[in-house]
Amino acid sequence: MNPKFILYFAWYYGFFVILRGPSYLVASLSLPLALLFIVTIFAHGSLLAISFAIAGGPIAIVAANSINGAADAAFFRIQIRIQDLYVATNITSQDYMFALSLSYLVFSLPGIVLYGVLGAYLKVFSLGSALPIIGVLVLLTLTVSNLAFIIAGLLKHIRNVWGITAILSIIMTVLPPTFYPYTDLPMNLIYVLSISPVTPAAVLVQGIVGKEPLLYSMLLILLLETVILTLLGRKFIRWRE
Amino acid sequence: MIEIQGITKKYDRRIYALNGINASLKERVTTLIGRNGAGKTTLIRILSTQLFPTSGTATIEGLDILRETKRVRNIISSIPQESQLIGILSPLEQMQLYLMARGFSAQQAREESKDALDQLELYDFRNAPSDTLSGGMKRKVFVAMALAAKSPVIFLDEPTTGLDPLSRIEVWSSIKRLTSKIILTTHYMEEAQELSNEVMVIDQGNIITHGPVGSLLSTFDGKMRAEKLDGDEFDIKIANVAIKYIEKDRVDEFIKKGYDIKRINLDDIFLSKGVMLES
Repeated sequence: MNPKFILYFAWYYGFFVILRGPSYLVASLSLPLALLFIVTIFAHGSLLAISFAIAGGPIAIVAANSINGAADAAFFRIQIRIQDLYVATNITSQDYMFALSLSYLVFSLPGIVLYGVLGAYLKVFSLGSALPIIGVLVLLTLTVSNLAFIIAGLLKHIRNVWGITAILSIIMTVLPPTFYPYTDLPMNLIYVLSISPVTPAAVLVQGIVGKEPLLYSMLLILLLETVILTLLGRKFIRWRE
Repeated sequence: MIEIQGITKKYDRRIYALNGINASLKERVTTLIGRNGAGKTTLIRILSTQLFPTSGTATIEGLDILRETKRVRNIISSIPQESQLIGILSPLEQMQLYLMARGFSAQQAREESKDALDQLELYDFRNAPSDTLSGGMKRKVFVAMALAAKSPVIFLDEPTTGLDPLSRIEVWSSIKRLTSKIILTTHYMEEAQELSNEVMVIDQGNIITHGPVGSLLSTFDGKMRAEKLDGDEFDIKIANVAIKYIEKDRVDEFIKKGYDIKRINLDDIFLSKGVMLES
């Protein structure tokens, strides 16, 4: 484990990218903010509906940025061959994957802060809920970015990756109960949708902010998915081919 | 020293990229030359622990690349042929990350990076987004990484491809200053001759010839190369160019026949082995 490399990589590739390419940041915020806008209009300003959209905002941002990591991972491996450069060094595939994952979390920070401020203003988030929500967001970053590494590892050509990540980004953030109460869905369907790590994360956050009952089984599912996808990610990253 | 022991690499569709290669690379600078797809990059990727061989192994300074990978990675640096910089990050940032991945502290990585960038006349561009650099400058940043890493063994896969003549000379001079063992691939015969102590010619996954530059060229002692488009006399004909190796005392005779006379160089090792370089 090389924590210094991981932190520096995340700082450079997460934070500096925000400063040098703010359009990417705006793009990553556009879908959750658009959905918040639509919810606000259709719910005629109902605070309850808006609060669900706000609670789901950080989840959607983290998930979208992390799944877009598939494009990065594929681009770095197939196109610009930066992964090859790092393979022949002292870092492990896990260091490299952590570094990329953390950079997506850092890149998501402005969006998380924006929603945090909105949520605090509308009393959706409290100081007490901040820490468990951050924990859920960290787990979500790990699971979804590992899913991204698996997708990237399966690709032989870079061309398909942007299409696949765009589709997955929508499916993963809009279908699960990210922006609406999970209790609107039958419980069986919740478990089926839990195949996407966004579902347990969204259900947990709705429970943490007290809008819905807290389902502890979702924490177990999210943890399990983190472990499984991390192991699979290591296999599929194609570190030493 | 690098000992290559029966390395074979078979890709999908049963194509052999390397065909049971055995060699001892004893000299300080070894150049691998061969056509595109000859197997040079595959060999470099295997030796620098980026790729598993299908069979066989190799040792680098006595360390087995398969069983002692971690220790091998401590003593090598490898600059892949097709690597490009991350456009949004600066050369200094990317060099620092590379050196930190190699175990340097952040401060040390920064200082070594600046020194290496300075050596290659890139210091003024250290903080510019890499996207704004020319292709040659980007390539030089990778060479700077290898310089800064100061590893005992350095693999450089086509380090000067795409560089202008001046930049090539700068890179050559930096490579010459290194005391590490260097394995490099190139398409430029001039470069191989300038930098190498030994040359290994690879074609279709096999070693065609291997040895010190002088000894390989000594087979042509006392000879010159005569070339003529559509010439009648030839040892080798490539497209319509007739090539004849002649004794020096027959130069005038061949000039009268309309042949161009050229000095022997590493190209001729290729040509005489039936391998023609694409460039």
